[in-house]
Amino acid sequence: MTPEEQRFLLVGAGLFVLGAIGFLTRRNLILMFLSAELMLHGVSLTLVTFGRMHQTNEGQAFTIFTLTVAACEAGLALSLVLSLYRKSHSLDIQLWSELRESDMAGPDLASSGDRSGLPSSYENIPTLTPAGIAPRNPPPISTSNATASTKT
Amino acid sequence: MMEWMKQHPATIVGLILWAIGILWMMPDRKAGKARPKIPGLLFTAVGLVIFCLSSGRSHSEFADDVMFWVFGIGALMSGVLMITARNPVYAALWFALATLSTCGLFLLQSAPFLAAATIIVYAGAVIVTFLFVIMLAQQSGAAGYDQRSGQSLLATVSAFVLLGALALTLQSEKIDVVRPVVKEIPVAQAANASGSSAAISAPVLTIDDEPTEPLPAEAGNMLSKADADHKVGDLKGLGRSLFGDYLFAVELAGTLLLIASIGAIAIAPRREQGAL
Repeated sequence: MTPEEQRFLLVGAGLFVLGAIGFLTRRNLILMFLSAELMLHGVSLTLVTFGRMHQTNEGQAFTIFTLTVAACEAGLALSLVLSLYRKSHSLDIQLWSELRESDMAGPDLASSGDRSGLPSSYENIPTLTPAGIAPRNPPPISTSNATASTKT
Repeated sequence: MMEWMKQHPATIVGLILWAIGILWMMPDRKAGKARPKIPGLLFTAVGLVIFCLSSGRSHSEFADDVMFWVFGIGALMSGVLMITARNPVYAALWFALATLSTCGLFLLQSAPFLAAATIIVYAGAVIVTFLFVIMLAQQSGAAGYDQRSGQSLLATVSAFVLLGALALTLQSEKIDVVRPVVKEIPVAQAANASGSSAAISAPVLTIDDEPTEPLPAEAGNMLSKADADHKVGDLKGLGRSLFGDYLFAVELAGTLLLIASIGAIAIAPRREQGAL
């Protein structure tokens, strides 16, 4: 591996890691989507560099498929964002942290601090059907668990 | 264009410096507080001098270096600014810049078609994202969820540990790359070796009596390999690879696009009267 290829691969890895940080930390739905696209850029750059390294066109062919999948992802992600926005009138991802199966433990939000802005219950939220066979002794429905409380 | 850019790096540097000088001297938004003119004039002068002196020079290595640093640092810096931007509009702008820089890196890696395709696809994506940001995020002004981030320390530390591991692997390991020598592959030999897939490129097969020598193990898809006729990133070679070796995958990708569009239409909420 020549130093020139090495530095292209390093830039690709850097783009991937930056996208990962953005995806993990940002709370805006659209920014999370953009961060995922940044990760795809990093992977594309790495694929193209690999293709050049081995003197084949396969890296570029793979990148074209990556582009296709990114386009599909963009369409689906933006329609999901739109429908989530219709439900909660906000782009905050933490509003959807209660979207889980009713017997699962909630996410640990203690470190991020603010739970003040979150509404305690939502309306017209689709509830997840519990997977598998229902447990014999269903857990008691807690009051803070909005997903379970809306379910009859 | 690439050849020209490689042969005349100083011209590019001169043009860039010149443009920076002009940008510096532009009137700012805040009226009355004008920037000092001297750095702008300096930039312009140096850029013009380089631009004028550079005609006829050619430094290919230097051009590659300069363009790599410009595009690579541009991509990484705009990535950093994108994920730290408080305003989603600015984040989308920085993402557009990161995409453009990545396309520049594609050009340097001899993938001009990919650079063009990426710009075309992401131009649409960025415009749609802009529409979404303006439509959804800007309605209620600055939102609290853009001002603070969740688990940022944990995410940053673990992501940079990952990056460190990748850099360590890339820089310390001697990764053996089997570098094929770009040469003419005899048509008949290629057809014999790789079977039916190569028959697309070789309609007339000549069968010779000599047993063909075994191909190296890395030569999987013969149509994707670069040879003297089809260099890496050549549009012809790329098309041969896509519609020869990966024809089935191309069909699958088309089906995926169809299914994704159907899904997007099904997921997107119906518009009510007066609603968003």
